Amino acid sequence: MSLLSEAVRILLNGLQTGAIYVLLAIGLSIILGTLKFVNFAHGALYVVGLYVGLLVSQETTFSQGQLAEFGFGTLGLDLGFLAALIVVPLVVFVLGIAMERFVARPFYDRPDTDQILLTFGLAIVAQQALRVLFGGNSQSFAQPEWASGAVELPLVGGFPQWRLWVIAITGLLVVLVYALIEFTDFGLTVRAGTQDAEMVQLLGIRITRPYIVVFGIGAALAGVAGVVGGPLTVVNPTVGTDVLVPAFLTVVIGGLGSIRGAVLGGLILGITQSFLIQWSLVIPALGIDYAFAPWSQVGIYAIAAVILLVRPQGLLGSEVEIS
Amino acid sequence: MSDEGVNPTEAEADGGETVGGATGTTPLSGVRARWERIRERESVVIALTIVGVALFPYFLVRAPVISELLQGYQELASLILVWGIFAIGFDLLLGRTGLLSFGHAALWGAGAYAAGWLSANVVQSPLAIVAIAVLFVVALSVVLGALSLRRGGIYFAILTLAFAQMIYYMASAPLAFITGGDNGLTGVEIGPLLGSFDLGSELPSIAGTLLGTWRYAFIAAALVVSAAIILRILNSPYGIVFRAIRENERRAEFVGFNVWRYKLAAFVLSGTFAGFAGALFTIHGEYVPLSSLYWTTSGEVVIMTVLGGVGTLLGPLLGAGIYLWVEYIVSGGYPFDWIGPYWHLVLGLVFVVVVVLLPDGIWNGIKRLLRDVFWFVSLATRDPEAAKDHAVQKAKAAIAWIVSLATGIVERVIAVPRRLAALVSGGGR
Repeated sequence: MSLLSEAVRILLNGLQTGAIYVLLAIGLSIILGTLKFVNFAHGALYVVGLYVGLLVSQETTFSQGQLAEFGFGTLGLDLGFLAALIVVPLVVFVLGIAMERFVARPFYDRPDTDQILLTFGLAIVAQQALRVLFGGNSQSFAQPEWASGAVELPLVGGFPQWRLWVIAITGLLVVLVYALIEFTDFGLTVRAGTQDAEMVQLLGIRITRPYIVVFGIGAALAGVAGVVGGPLTVVNPTVGTDVLVPAFLTVVIGGLGSIRGAVLGGLILGITQSFLIQWSLVIPALGIDYAFAPWSQVGIYAIAAVILLVRPQGLLGSEVEIS
Repeated sequence: MSDEGVNPTEAEADGGETVGGATGTTPLSGVRARWERIRERESVVIALTIVGVALFPYFLVRAPVISELLQGYQELASLILVWGIFAIGFDLLLGRTGLLSFGHAALWGAGAYAAGWLSANVVQSPLAIVAIAVLFVVALSVVLGALSLRRGGIYFAILTLAFAQMIYYMASAPLAFITGGDNGLTGVEIGPLLGSFDLGSELPSIAGTLLGTWRYAFIAAALVVSAAIILRILNSPYGIVFRAIRENERRAEFVGFNVWRYKLAAFVLSGTFAGFAGALFTIHGEYVPLSSLYWTTSGEVVIMTVLGGVGTLLGPLLGAGIYLWVEYIVSGGYPFDWIGPYWHLVLGLVFVVVVVLLPDGIWNGIKRLLRDVFWFVSLATRDPEAAKDHAVQKAKAAIAWIVSLATGIVERVIAVPRRLAALVSGGGR
């Protein structure tokens, strides 16, 4: 195995790990940037996406679930995962809208510590409710059949196909959201609202409508992250808290409200993590005998700490600090 | 027992017009006025704390009727005090300075691990263990505080959380040869107090009936010392700056205070108490689980403090008591079987309700309620007619509120089809 093929493999794995952080971080970042609302329950939306996705994909995969009982088991169109990819964002979008209306909006004028406390409480409630509904045991989310197995890539050799799909789906969504925010009238309103909400309202635009949609989009992205990330992790009610902290870190090092920053931050964290996991494979070639894999989780926080010491406002953040 | 000033005339002025100018003194209000005067004094608060911790295990564990209802046990009593120290220290930051840290698990866990490692490898004397562990945590909190305070507001919460997670992952894998990794730190051995009193044994005679074990006495003394130190800090000019920062950070800065340094001081002080409590936790349980560094531990102390009430001394203690009582008693036994497995869900819902409706916590709610009741009783003894009028007015207001709430809900439900139709036809505004 050459050093180059290892490097490409580390890069691909890093992109895939980072992709999940990016999906979560973009949602967090646009909600934080436009609505000034700190959502500690964002991880809960990810877990909801995970469980709803699991449910939908199991029930609509024709060889199992309810449809099989109705005799549709032999049709051979195992579209369960695609169904989950479509249903979950819609469900979580609606959930996000409800959250904006009934959770966030009454708290816009309260101190941000109250927002954190509230969403933290909701995250606990959601986690425990999911435990009651689905049980606390870990389940596994099967990869869609059309994307399971490995593909042969030049340089790298065999590579799990689903990881490439995660990168592709994330890339597509990021481009879509970026285009929506940067090039449409809707995005213009949202960006203007970030600068000066009062002025936008004086111009006769109802700022609450775009705000609701922004919250919904952010939530839907978290839900999608749950579905695409599902086959790569175990599914249990506590995983939301494990992804929330790296996602927040991504926002902080990338710079608040910046989609490009979130992408950059997510990639840095993802590649750092996969680099440390696989470094122990590279190092023997250089004659160093030490396994760095245990440091992989520590590494992302260390990188984040260094970046923040150098640029407290984040890599692509502006100098202006909110609140 | 709170030290936060409650304006004693506020409640009086509230209902002043219904009294019709009558300011007659009853014996009851005389006692109350005297109480209002002395209860702010540090010595009174500390004396009450001593009485409180001395009676607490008796009522939780050994008193007839009450303790049977509470179903408490000796170890729970000392555990509540350990978490109580953690919570009142945490409140120094959240309640007094207005900074929300999600990383105090790092400091609590560091104190616990330091104490455990010392007891297994260096010394066994509880006092020495605690002292060295606290020094270690002070150094760590200076570093964590200086890093996290580089950004204000929400960033502070996120950064403390991030750095605490970093320490958790360090303890979990790369430093497992010190911390024991996922298995936690075993081999903790705590020696006798001052070389002669075994912590597990019971105190002699009446002290044993009241307090129980030497371990409880040790932890109770630690709580009293902590409360005294915290009160002294808060009532000093230095502590008043914390309050100024909480009220208006920018103004404190313009007045000329180095806000960053005061915030760091508040962080280090509260971190010191977190580490102190963590070391006591090790002495209490003689084991350090890895989860003591996990961010749910930070969450627990946040919940305790907010649930009980920020900005008071009794609030966080009450919060710690409620949380642990629910965790250890309600989740277990007989009259609460139906809650049992859902205790975390119930507590989460209660927490959300408290944050929404009662942001200053249960203890402040109780205080307000007591004040209103007291005011009403004193009014009734002076002027029964006015009290009756007042009660009638209150009842009317309550009924009107319920009616308006109900009509509001009905109106909204009725309006749903119309709004849906508007949405579908695209005629939305």
